[in-house]
Amino acid sequence: MSDREVDQQLVERVQRGEKHAYDLLVMKYQRKLGRLISRFVRDPGDAQDVTQDAFIKAYRALPGFRGESAFYTWLYRIGINTAKNHLLSNKRRPPTSTYFDAEESESFEEASLLQEVSTPENELMSKQVVDVVQASLLQLPEDLRSALTLREIEGLSYEEIASVMNCPVGTVRSRIFRAREAVAANLRPLLETSKDKRW
Amino acid sequence: MKNKISALMDGELFADEANHVIAELKSQSSAQQDWQIYHLIGDVLRQPEAITREVGSAVHERLQLEAVILAPQRSMTEKARNIALSAAASVMAVVAVSWMAMQATPNKSAQLAAQTSALTRASFVLKPQVNAYLLAHQELSPSSDVQGGSAFIRTTNYSNEDVAP
Repeated sequence: MSDREVDQQLVERVQRGEKHAYDLLVMKYQRKLGRLISRFVRDPGDAQDVTQDAFIKAYRALPGFRGESAFYTWLYRIGINTAKNHLLSNKRRPPTSTYFDAEESESFEEASLLQEVSTPENELMSKQVVDVVQASLLQLPEDLRSALTLREIEGLSYEEIASVMNCPVGTVRSRIFRAREAVAANLRPLLETSKDKRW
Repeated sequence: MKNKISALMDGELFADEANHVIAELKSQSSAQQDWQIYHLIGDVLRQPEAITREVGSAVHERLQLEAVILAPQRSMTEKARNIALSAAASVMAVVAVSWMAMQATPNKSAQLAAQTSALTRASFVLKPQVNAYLLAHQELSPSSDVQGGSAFIRTTNYSNEDVAP
């Protein structure tokens, strides 16, 4: 089942009344959508509000989603429209860079804008999260680190990683899981200390 | 279970297994946390500068106030059935219109012929003085669509003698 099909499965569950499935989609796409919206809405607080609004609008519109496009492509459009409406309601002109498609938006360097979204308190927490993940990655055995990097950064499929690393697909799956779990083990205590455990 | 969550988020599970894991994610909060943390790790690795506390918690809270969605499901067989029904309806409409046109044509001709002969018969009973009266008062007729344009209209007259054999 491809990534898109997993999303479609979650969408269909939401359409059958399973709200929790929407939480899973929010967890998956919250940072991605937040990055997109922060390209339009420069004020950090406003950007977060607009992102929330976009997710709620998408939830309300979900009965009409038939899966003709990928869920994120559909969510992307709602995000853009919500951001534009926000700017228009504040009588600000939307930036001209509104004509990127969902795929192109992935490749943009949005980091400088996103740093603005954080409050000082959250910035410290964010920095700690990044430090823990990066330190954990460096501590991993070479084969685990390579497998996770090829998957998360290069976006290769298990089959492609198996070809690159010259090992069975099952081994790739195991290595990626073990790498994730090793990093997560270091991350959990930090997230537990956070008052808001949802990231 | 964690192993399967990891594979699920990479789109590397078969459908039946994926459905099972998704169902488990519903019931196990620890599984949901794993899903969340694994995605966070991926986001940190891809864009470490862009990590900030996001809106998941707030959306979750607002979601509790939202009505539960119960959208009617459209299966593939239902879609196919709808398409077939639409096609059948279109064919039936074309056939019905064609049939009605064929049926109506002879009757209409007969009707028109009857109307024409009735008009012809009616014209025979008009008296010549009526024609003269109508011609003289044509410009004053309020129902005329061409008032003021009579100078450009050629009028004709007839009498019973003209058409009599």
